[in-house]
Amino acid sequence: MEKEKFYTNERNGIPQAWNSIFGMGIEGSELNCSSEQLSNCFFNPNCENSIDQRDLFESALSSIVSSPANSHPGIPIPGGSNGGESIVLRELIGRLGSICNSGEISPQSGINGNNSTNNSYHNTPLNSPPKLNLSITDHQIQGSLPIPGNRQLPPAPFPTDPGFVERAARFSSFGAKNLMVKENESGTPSRSQFIGIAEENKKFSRLSMLSTQDNTERGDSREASSVSEQILSGETETETGMKGQSTSTNGRKRKVIPKGKGKETQSSTTILAKDDKVVAEAEKEESDAKRSKSDEEEIEKEKEKEKTKENVKPPEPPKDYIHVRARRGQATDSHSLAERVRREKISERMKFLQDLVPGCNKVTGKAVMLDEIINYVQSLQRQVEFLSMKLATVNPRMDVTMEALLSRDMFRSRVPVPTTINPFDSSTNQFPYGFQSPNAGILLDGSDNQFSLNPLMAAMHRNSIMKPSHIDGFEASAFLENDLQSVVKMALGGQDQPQSFHGQMKVEL
Amino acid sequence: MSASQQLTPTNPNSALKIRLAYRFLLTLNTLNAKKPPNFDHTQIHRRSHRVKIAAYASMASVVGPKRAWSRAILWKIRNRGMLARNKKRIHRISTPIRLHRHHARRRRNPNRVVHVDPFVNSGLEVKLRKLVPGAETIDPCGLLDETADYIKYLATQVEVMRNLVDLYSTI
Repeated sequence: MEKEKFYTNERNGIPQAWNSIFGMGIEGSELNCSSEQLSNCFFNPNCENSIDQRDLFESALSSIVSSPANSHPGIPIPGGSNGGESIVLRELIGRLGSICNSGEISPQSGINGNNSTNNSYHNTPLNSPPKLNLSITDHQIQGSLPIPGNRQLPPAPFPTDPGFVERAARFSSFGAKNLMVKENESGTPSRSQFIGIAEENKKFSRLSMLSTQDNTERGDSREASSVSEQILSGETETETGMKGQSTSTNGRKRKVIPKGKGKETQSSTTILAKDDKVVAEAEKEESDAKRSKSDEEEIEKEKEKEKTKENVKPPEPPKDYIHVRARRGQATDSHSLAERVRREKISERMKFLQDLVPGCNKVTGKAVMLDEIINYVQSLQRQVEFLSMKLATVNPRMDVTMEALLSRDMFRSRVPVPTTINPFDSSTNQFPYGFQSPNAGILLDGSDNQFSLNPLMAAMHRNSIMKPSHIDGFEASAFLENDLQSVVKMALGGQDQPQSFHGQMKVEL
Repeated sequence: MSASQQLTPTNPNSALKIRLAYRFLLTLNTLNAKKPPNFDHTQIHRRSHRVKIAAYASMASVVGPKRAWSRAILWKIRNRGMLARNKKRIHRISTPIRLHRHHARRRRNPNRVVHVDPFVNSGLEVKLRKLVPGAETIDPCGLLDETADYIKYLATQVEVMRNLVDLYSTI
């Protein structure tokens, strides 16, 4: 799957890049969200067309640029190899700029209505110093690929350039578009959350507008935030995992604002500020749709929410109350919020109990689970009662060898035995063995024969004692009285059985 | 590597088992020393009751006073002579508590959202409260916590007792 994705990236890399630059051009020209939405609307068909014309592009490019450089932008670059490759990339971009200016992409411009602005905005990033551009594009391209621990270029030249934030904003949109294209085209299940949203979008066509916007804006803010984070903290590592970035969005968003230089950052902040509302709206819509759809997705959604909840809280204290945020249709007064918190706590405990109680994993529903728990506790208590009764009857011989037994038990149980992984299974296997009363009686007699001096009398005695105490159908004594010798022989014949049983007990304790 | 992996999850459980077995054997030993066993039906019944109490007491004493259920068990066992002697007084003491709880719950109810909550609307919670010792007056979350802990110890105790029974029946 990964390979496939990379392959598609490789194939689509350059046209996507162009498309994203186009989209960025529109966005930069009008500087608000609606325009971006428009661009997104244009964006998908545009992209399809560009794929159709990819051959033309690639032929043009391959004529100019050598083939390794051509395939480069889409390929995931492992850490450390950036220095050399970036030079090649710079070359590539410079040549692309020359192509762009010479107007070789006329079919593209024919498709995209905003021809003139496109060309102008092609010029802007390419006219600026190529080194910075290069690094940023490198960042974006690499950041959009799921490689953990991706080493970026050292961020030393970033803060010195005053126009960097501007370009960062643009390129954030660049990266976002790139991402969105990839998600919409080559939806790979390795990106669980975002792909899930994208698939939702495909399924619910009535939501498509809104949530694509949501997608891009999330991606936008995410990329911007990651870039700004690099500026601020000088971290050289970007989180490339989807979850990390999407959750880091909310937390780091504000960092862009104090750094703001020029109008582009302001626009980006306005976008981000709108991002809140739009994301909330989209979430509501999504949650609505999902609620109508099935419970599984509800659970997924809740998990996602929890994750975001966990990651949101540290940097911004005023956002802490989000963890009891109400969804659509839910009441928001303090009582119901508290009630919701209480229910969450209870379900948490229930999950914990679910692990403890055997056979409770398949059960859904709190009431059934509670019933199961109650039954289990009752059965345990009954078992304690039964076993204590049994111990009371078995006890008599115990007091003689008590200390020896104790020391032996302790000694044995201190030896670490690796086979006691699943105590419940073995114990339940063992328990019916105790219930097989005739068998147990025979065992007992056999052991008596082994250890006591007058075996037959002891067996008789024991069985007559045990008859009232073992309630359920304990016919062993009568059986024994009828044919004692044969039983004793049987017990002696099966001597290895108690031995093995003993060994099992050793393991158990 | 594999040995360490297998050892680590079993260690706490086996340590718990050892402690439980030790306590239980000690109590059984004292029980035997105090009342030498004789074989009468009523005697055996009483004796099994004592063994049961010993089992619960060993469980609770292993846990100590940090849990509500163990505290309740210890308190009950310690005061069981008094409980048996004057049941009336204890009943009078325990009644106002229950009334108070009832009252509090009724007062809290109108604020609740109409939502089928198994903890409130069904009798399961009350059942569970009766099963778990000392859980009559704690909130639902605490009830579940106590239940989980209680189940853990009870299951271990059952296992220990079963092993003991097997051991004594084989020797």
